[in-house]
Amino acid sequence: MNATPHSLRPLSLLSRIAAAVLGGYAFCWGFIALGLAGFYAAGMPFHDAEHLSGMLGVLLFLVAFCWVFATQRVGRAWAVLLGGAALMAGGATLVQRAMV
Amino acid sequence: MAEPLLLLGAAAIAALAGLAWLALAMEVHWAQVHGLRARATPARLRTAGAAALALSFALCLGADHVSMAVLVWLMLLAGSALAIAMMLSTRPQWLRWLWLAR
Amino acid sequence: MFQSFRLCMAWLHTWFGLMLGFVLMVVFFFGALSVFDREIDRWALPESRFQPQPMPSFDRVLRPAFERMQPSKDDIALLDGRVHGPLPERFDTVRHWGAYTTHRDPVVAVFAGYEVPKAKDPEETVWASHALDPRDGRVLPEGRLRISSQFFYPLHYSLTLNWKDLGTWIVGFSALMMLAALVSGVVMHRKIFREFFTFRRDKSVQRSALDLHNLTGVVALPFHFFFAFTGLVIFAGLYFPVAHTQLRSLHELSEKIEARETGLPHERAGVAAPLASVDAMVAEAQRRWAARGMAGEVGYLGVQHVGDANAYVSVYRAGTDRVALTGEGIHFKASTGELLREDPPRTAVDSVNEFLTGLHLQHFRHWLLRWLYVLGGLLGCVCIATGFIFFVEKRKQQHAKVGSPGSRVVDALAVATVTGMLIATTAMLVANRLLSEALPDKGDWEKTVFWSAWALALLHAFARNGAVALGRRSPAWREQCLLAAAGAVAAVVANAVTTGDHLGRTLADGYWPVAGVDLSLLAMAAIALLAARRLGRVGQRTAARGTPAAIAGASNG
Repeated sequence: MNATPHSLRPLSLLSRIAAAVLGGYAFCWGFIALGLAGFYAAGMPFHDAEHLSGMLGVLLFLVAFCWVFATQRVGRAWAVLLGGAALMAGGATLVQRAMV
Repeated sequence: MAEPLLLLGAAAIAALAGLAWLALAMEVHWAQVHGLRARATPARLRTAGAAALALSFALCLGADHVSMAVLVWLMLLAGSALAIAMMLSTRPQWLRWLWLAR
Repeated sequence: MFQSFRLCMAWLHTWFGLMLGFVLMVVFFFGALSVFDREIDRWALPESRFQPQPMPSFDRVLRPAFERMQPSKDDIALLDGRVHGPLPERFDTVRHWGAYTTHRDPVVAVFAGYEVPKAKDPEETVWASHALDPRDGRVLPEGRLRISSQFFYPLHYSLTLNWKDLGTWIVGFSALMMLAALVSGVVMHRKIFREFFTFRRDKSVQRSALDLHNLTGVVALPFHFFFAFTGLVIFAGLYFPVAHTQLRSLHELSEKIEARETGLPHERAGVAAPLASVDAMVAEAQRRWAARGMAGEVGYLGVQHVGDANAYVSVYRAGTDRVALTGEGIHFKASTGELLREDPPRTAVDSVNEFLTGLHLQHFRHWLLRWLYVLGGLLGCVCIATGFIFFVEKRKQQHAKVGSPGSRVVDALAVATVTGMLIATTAMLVANRLLSEALPDKGDWEKTVFWSAWALALLHAFARNGAVALGRRSPAWREQCLLAAAGAVAAVVANAVTTGDHLGRTLADGYWPVAGVDLSLLAMAAIALLAARRLGRVGQRTAARGTPAAIAGASNG
């Protein structure tokens, strides 16, 4: 009758799942790294910074995961997640360089 | 441990009553329990329900350190909601005596 | 993606819920059992059936045991590929000694971490662990499995799949999917408030299953959400090891600064030094806690840099009366007993973290809350099981018409995961009682029984569910309910026969660990039997409807 909606075709679906899982993971890694370095640089004890970033990072993964499935274009999801990951992780390394 | 046990027992009863009243405020469940009898004002039932749940929380606070009291209360609500749902599904007539006024 | 947000959340809920539901079932069920893990251990190890003991004397009981400890061959095997040359056999430089007990432990858990000579990573540590009888320091023999704390509990968080922590990763992903399923479930459930108390048992199986799925999911929503979330928070360092990789230098900097600030040395001095009386240090710690209005038992005793001049002893209070695990740490110089540091009150972030982890790991003394946790865990199991049943009921007629095997496969996997899991658990408990106490590696045999019973249940489920391919119910559900009930009763009988601690005696003595397990097994058997009976009756009605006489009657009438 009607063809499978574009987004349910195997390749597009796999891309979306990969974006949610792998892209989401990378994005949260970046967030946790930046959070850890940032909070520590701002004076928070190291393990507190680690735990706070971890807690927020888990919630962020949930949000990002759901967002990937709700958003129209998978390409945009990939761009936001990977781009954001690179920016945040890069920022974290810069903070580390400044402090060590 | 007697006193905390009494407080928690009372908290459980308050939670059961509170959730039962909140359920009775819904037309479907009122009909299940009271049949064709005229429906009591939902607002009154909801107020009674909320008050009972608040009382339940206060009793939990009396029994334990606040960090545990919150967990105990939330879990009592879960168990009570399940019990009320099961009662409505199997023996709704047992809930008849819970609201006798209009 | 779809026409609406709701529809795409529905897709996410259905397919990820289905895929990971099998894992989550295991996580929830063995998590529920782990609430009473120490009690189940007592049932499985009759020689540990004595009353819980406080932390024993370090000088008299723990120290001799520590000095005799060495990693087992299994512990050493974990170093494979991580050292230059052959695996060392002896480990002499001790990084850390630790002893841990709660108000529910008759035995005390002791463990030791050793430096690894010729390791590729200089920080590499090999760990040894034992369970001690605190009354005399006797170590419980190797090969005796504490069934719940050493098997059901690791099964809960890692599926006992330890290769590269793969199991822990799978469970972690499932937990994330649990959160996604809760969010998407709420989005999908249009009448979440109106149907809060709704359970229509007189409707079709599909409707009843969905009602029960919604009910068990919604009434314990805070529980389900917080357990999945806190589980992920507990293992966040493993899933995102940022501080050990990308930000390693920052971490090392912070440790040096912390060592300076706290006065607790980060490295060994390289100079040998004796160990003063730790009992005296413990007494001092308890005096200080009482002075602060927080008198308590010792939950954790640790010695860092054992045998070195920089060694220090840490005494932590057991958090029995609150949700946070242990705390109020007090640290002493090991060679002299001089006070080095009293941990300051927790920061806000630390308090939140300790609350979240303590909520999940439950070392508090509160029997009502524990039982409510078991209820929550079982509600989660019912939620997942009814999810499977709804999935199959919704599709099996359609699949039968087009000849698709989908429903049949899901149904068989569901039977294996729900009732099969119960069969495996009861089989393991029966084996625990029937296998000889003298059998070496008895624990390994018990595990073999567990996995074999589960595998057989899976085969049985597939063999018996041809009916699903025809759009009817599989008889495997009823048959496995009966088997699970039989297993549970057999376990109770086996306990009575092999140990003499039958319910009559344990109830009279008030020995609740064993009585509780026996009663729970009987309750499980009762529920399984009731379920089997209802399934049998419904089956007969459906069969009667399908017989030629009935069809003739229906077409005439």
